[in-house]
Amino acid sequence: MTDLMIDAADVSKAFGDVKALDGVSLQVPKGTVTGLLGHNGAGKTTLVNLLTTVLPLDAGGATVAGHDVTTDGHEVRSRIGLTGQFASVDEQLTGLHNLVLIARLLGASRRQAADRASELLELFDLAAAADRKVDTYSGGMKRRLDLAASLVGHPDVVFLDEPTTGLDPTSRLGLWEIVEKLVDDGTTVLLTTQYLEEADRLADSITVLSNGQVVAAGTAAELKADIGQRTVAITLAEAAAAPEALAALRRAGFSPIHDEGRRAMTIPVDAANALAAVVRALDDANAEVAELALHEPTLDDVYLTLTHQAAA
Amino acid sequence: MTVATTTPQTNAAPPAAAARDWGGSSYPSQIWVLTGRSMQALKDKRMLIMSVVQPLIMLTLFSQVFKGMAFAPGFPQGVDYIDYLMPAILVTTGSQSAMWAGAGLATDLKNGALARFRTLPISMYSLLTARSVFDAVRNTIQLSLLLVGAVVLFGFNPAGGVFGTLAALLLALIVGWGLSWLFMALGTWVRNLEVMQMIGMVAVFPLMFASNAFAPVESMPGWLQAIASVNPLSYAIDGSRSLALGDLDAGPILWALLISGIIASGGALAAGRGIRKP
Ligand SMILES: Nc1ncnc2c1ncn2[C@@H]1O[C@H](COP(=O)(O)OP(=O)(O)OP(=O)(O)O)[C@@H](O)[C@H]1O
Ligand SMILES: [Mg+2]
Repeated sequence: MTDLMIDAADVSKAFGDVKALDGVSLQVPKGTVTGLLGHNGAGKTTLVNLLTTVLPLDAGGATVAGHDVTTDGHEVRSRIGLTGQFASVDEQLTGLHNLVLIARLLGASRRQAADRASELLELFDLAAAADRKVDTYSGGMKRRLDLAASLVGHPDVVFLDEPTTGLDPTSRLGLWEIVEKLVDDGTTVLLTTQYLEEADRLADSITVLSNGQVVAAGTAAELKADIGQRTVAITLAEAAAAPEALAALRRAGFSPIHDEGRRAMTIPVDAANALAAVVRALDDANAEVAELALHEPTLDDVYLTLTHQAAA
Repeated sequence: MTVATTTPQTNAAPPAAAARDWGGSSYPSQIWVLTGRSMQALKDKRMLIMSVVQPLIMLTLFSQVFKGMAFAPGFPQGVDYIDYLMPAILVTTGSQSAMWAGAGLATDLKNGALARFRTLPISMYSLLTARSVFDAVRNTIQLSLLLVGAVVLFGFNPAGGVFGTLAALLLALIVGWGLSWLFMALGTWVRNLEVMQMIGMVAVFPLMFASNAFAPVESMPGWLQAIASVNPLSYAIDGSRSLALGDLDAGPILWALLISGIIASGGALAAGRGIRKP
């Protein structure tokens, strides 16, 4: 018995001429969070829809919680929760009724359904609005109800498609804590997001999609190390010293980036010991440095590099 | 969702209680729960009242405008026009209301409620059946109120008596129920409330007038006679009328039931496919 909760191999999906997914493979071990990154239209939602049996796949195969999404959709659906990119709650019902309805459809008794619903309303800070119709909820409240709805059945695998879009910072932090708690309890999470900070904080592993293909996969640290770029940011004491400093840096083999007339410049570097070489070059040029800092690569750098490459 | 709270009790997912421990739900209970959900719509009495007022207005207008029909060729001897008209109004009102099943489904599909159901381990046919059950219940209430209105306001009192009238009502309900599957199939493809309402108007109105609803077929010009005599609504109206007027004629009743059955099956197949489209 494998402990892969999501195992997709060579999955493809086309909409007419658009190849939304083209041979995507993805493996998510039990109790971990995988972040799915990618530009608009990269295929994130499509992949989530295939794995949650909302859409049939064209080619390849996938299992979720050990069940084949094509042949055993019913079993897959009884083990997952999905918060889609667009809210999927019934606006004509109250928040409470929405959750009770789902619990009942999952086989809970009236009593169990009511208990679970109030538990989740509490967790997502919606208890006060429990008896209000959802069409009176704010955007963020609807989003939170949608998230609660996907957790009603204590799913083994939770799919979150841009879960924090439209949430205020407090709710966003709250959601992150809830996700961390779920994972502590053994739940597996696949999360798509446009917030790299979110992926950095939550995801054990990250997969970057571009134009329907996986262009990078690994932990955040691995991606940063492999693809990201360390930079040294320098602010000179005087802008007049810039030309000479730039020349010295170029002689030392660096490619500094500088806007004419400014005191600041950025130097992409590879190794940690490059910092010493930068300082030496500046010393040779007799340039007085007001400020110097080494920047570790961020996921934003990784993302921009990857999506830039793919677009080129 | 409070950030700084450290309430350790908030147990997001006790691993012991996964959804499968609730065991899933049977088809009957899915249909029961989903029908209950639709019933919420009845809390808004305005819709129901309007749905009764509209046919009552039609009844008023037609019973005055077409009174002369009682002397038209083919009109049954010694029958009040209201007794002739009302069974037809039951059928046409039931058919028009069938549109609401499709409209409700289209709204669900559009606003995301259905997106949630798609991710649950339930049958899409439970959902469709629940809609049609709800539609039948709403239709029963609507047509019963209409019937009471016709008796009280217009002195509807057909020769078939209470039983004949109730049988006519039942036939109208069955015809409407069959059509509701057709409209649900349309709803899964159209997915737009306004467009559904337009289709309901455009499809049902001509069928209604090109039928024997308001006047005997014999009184119509030839081309209209041709349409009216193949119009399935004419069978339903003939059947309903024969029951209400106590002049039992099994032919049109059986045809109406058969056609409704065919429409319902075809609609169910198409709706079952349509609802799966993302
Ligand atoms: N139902 C559909 N019909 C036609 N094309 C579709 C459909 N769904 C998705 N696509 C196309 O497939 C591609 C991938 O779309 P998808 O929604 O998966 O992207 P995404 O990564 O989720 O984007 P976003 O960040 O904007 O949510 C896009 O080119 C999109 O236009
Ligand atoms: Mg998307």
